[in-house]
Amino acid sequence: MKLGSFEVKLEKRVALRGWEATLISIFAILFALVVFSYIFLRAGVDPLTGYKAIFSYAFTSSFGLPLTINRFIFLLLCTYAFIIPMRAGLWNIGMAGQLYAGALSAFAVAYAFGAKTSQNAVLPAGLVIPLMIAAAILGSAAIGAIAGFLKGRFNTNEIVVTMMINFITYWVVARMIKEGGLFMGASGEGDGFKLPESIYAPLIEGVPFTLFIALGLALLLFFLFAKTSIGYQIKAYGKSPAAAKYAGISPFNIPLLVFILGGLIAGLAGYHYFAAVPGVYKITKNYGEFGDLAFYGIICGLISQGNSLAAIPIALLFGGLTNGGRFAQGKLKLGFGIDYALLGVLMITLVAFQFFYRYRIVWVRTPGKEASDVGIHG
Amino acid sequence: MWEFMVRSLDASTIFTIAALSELLGQRSGILNVGVEGVMLFGATIGFMVAQTTGSYLLGFLAAMAIGGLIGLIHGFFSITLGSDQVVNGMGIWILGFGLTTYIGYPYTGPLGMERIPDILGLSPFFFVGLALIIIAWFVLTKTSLGLRIRSVGENPSVAEVSGINVARTRYLSVTTSGMLMGFAGAIYSLDYNPVWSNDFLMGWGFIALALVFFSMWHPFILLGGSILFGTLWQLSLNPQLVLPDVLSRYIWRTVPFAITIGVLVLMSTKWFSSRWGAAKPEALGLPYEEKG
Repeated sequence: MKLGSFEVKLEKRVALRGWEATLISIFAILFALVVFSYIFLRAGVDPLTGYKAIFSYAFTSSFGLPLTINRFIFLLLCTYAFIIPMRAGLWNIGMAGQLYAGALSAFAVAYAFGAKTSQNAVLPAGLVIPLMIAAAILGSAAIGAIAGFLKGRFNTNEIVVTMMINFITYWVVARMIKEGGLFMGASGEGDGFKLPESIYAPLIEGVPFTLFIALGLALLLFFLFAKTSIGYQIKAYGKSPAAAKYAGISPFNIPLLVFILGGLIAGLAGYHYFAAVPGVYKITKNYGEFGDLAFYGIICGLISQGNSLAAIPIALLFGGLTNGGRFAQGKLKLGFGIDYALLGVLMITLVAFQFFYRYRIVWVRTPGKEASDVGIHG
Repeated sequence: MWEFMVRSLDASTIFTIAALSELLGQRSGILNVGVEGVMLFGATIGFMVAQTTGSYLLGFLAAMAIGGLIGLIHGFFSITLGSDQVVNGMGIWILGFGLTTYIGYPYTGPLGMERIPDILGLSPFFFVGLALIIIAWFVLTKTSLGLRIRSVGENPSVAEVSGINVARTRYLSVTTSGMLMGFAGAIYSLDYNPVWSNDFLMGWGFIALALVFFSMWHPFILLGGSILFGTLWQLSLNPQLVLPDVLSRYIWRTVPFAITIGVLVLMSTKWFSSRWGAAKPEALGLPYEEKG
């Protein structure tokens, strides 16, 4: 394409530098937010007013900020659950199923200690809370392992398997918390039973302690992929499973390992949202919405290109956007599902922008009269 | 029991058409894992248009138009830009799931139109599904268009050398495929269960995707698989018809998904693939850059 004395060309990238990837990601997010303005316009709201309402509620209001932080922790954990298999070139879209399994396992421990009997029951928190977390990790790792095992052993498509497990666990949760299920709450309104106050997860400065687990994982994963041999093996498998096999990397162990790790972290997300967020402390009847929210992990993972540190600001932004979006939807009468709509718009924009990870636009001055003139005048 | 069988065949119709559309795209080498998203679009837009205009015909046409458009977009990303087809398909699924939740929400509730008349108790779309299977089989195996579609799915370089326009053939396949996916979605929301609610498909599209793998890319096997899963799905909704008071109704809902995993694993075993696995389109999921 020619523009004046310039020619615009597409050129294949040889390598993608860190700052280039960052720039593309920022452009993609901005582009998605501009496209998303249409939703505001459609509702007769000035997009700037709309975004201002979202951001000020999410990041500056004393009601909104804690909710944003809770969502941020949840999204960051879901992102890591997605990133680890992603580095091995595998798709874990089963965060929802894994976090349901984690929540169910954690609540099973609480149930075993008699947590369902009374809200005032005094349980040994020092024992029950660590056991709940351990159960969440084990339960979700086991669920994750299914997809990893099947991939490693039979090369079964992990997308279909993890998605099927999402639906299976979705219905298992329903079985457990509804219609006389073991974890059914006393109110009978479809929620699970509420945890006794004695085993509420500890808060640090009003923030669930799971924040520090999530941030710790950020460092751990960064180290894993940057410095360790196992991280190298995962990446090598991700580049080419066949080539990795020649280098002595097991085509069975790697898928199994990444799905166990991914599942385990998703289980922490399940523990976090249902057992550690103030005001929740039960498997809520709208648990499916948290499963849906987990899909933001895919977007965070893709935008951050699998970098666990880069995922932090992105998860924070999306935590704020979804939380503020829910608020703005009520305040500005935008209609239900604005956070879902944003999810869709962000994802498809990202898909379109992945083109720029492989190509770049270059401006070339076309040789001609003008060009030689420029040469003379320096 | 008769009613149950009829209802199962109605459910199979949706699986048949959705899976057939995916099969068509895959035979040309384009994988679309976002079947569920395209179906959600077709179902929601079809529902909205039908309810607003009071015309089923317009509803179905709108569903096919939006499906075709999404197919075209998938084609643009996958064929022209050569991006990763799995990422594109995921994008389409999440776009469909997210956007339809928002735009469809004001339409929550029953369609409120007179039901589409049945033929011998069966949904007329059952016969449409059968016809489409036969047409697809005929076109794919007996016509030069079908040969072109199969050859770009197997070996695009050879196809190009023999004078076939790879990109155009693939665009044709994915767009038609998208239209059929939209159509399948609209059959769900306008005929099978004419009530709009949040994320109502709950896995139909993903099972349809798995059905294509089960079919070994053959329309007739696909029909058989669809009828099996349609029946299974219906059974999971009404377990009392066969096994009253055994297991919770929620646990029954997990059965089709569990069986899908089971069959998928069976099909991925060496034993199976060494016998029948060769049917998979050789160039499936791989972007192609034209040499000429």
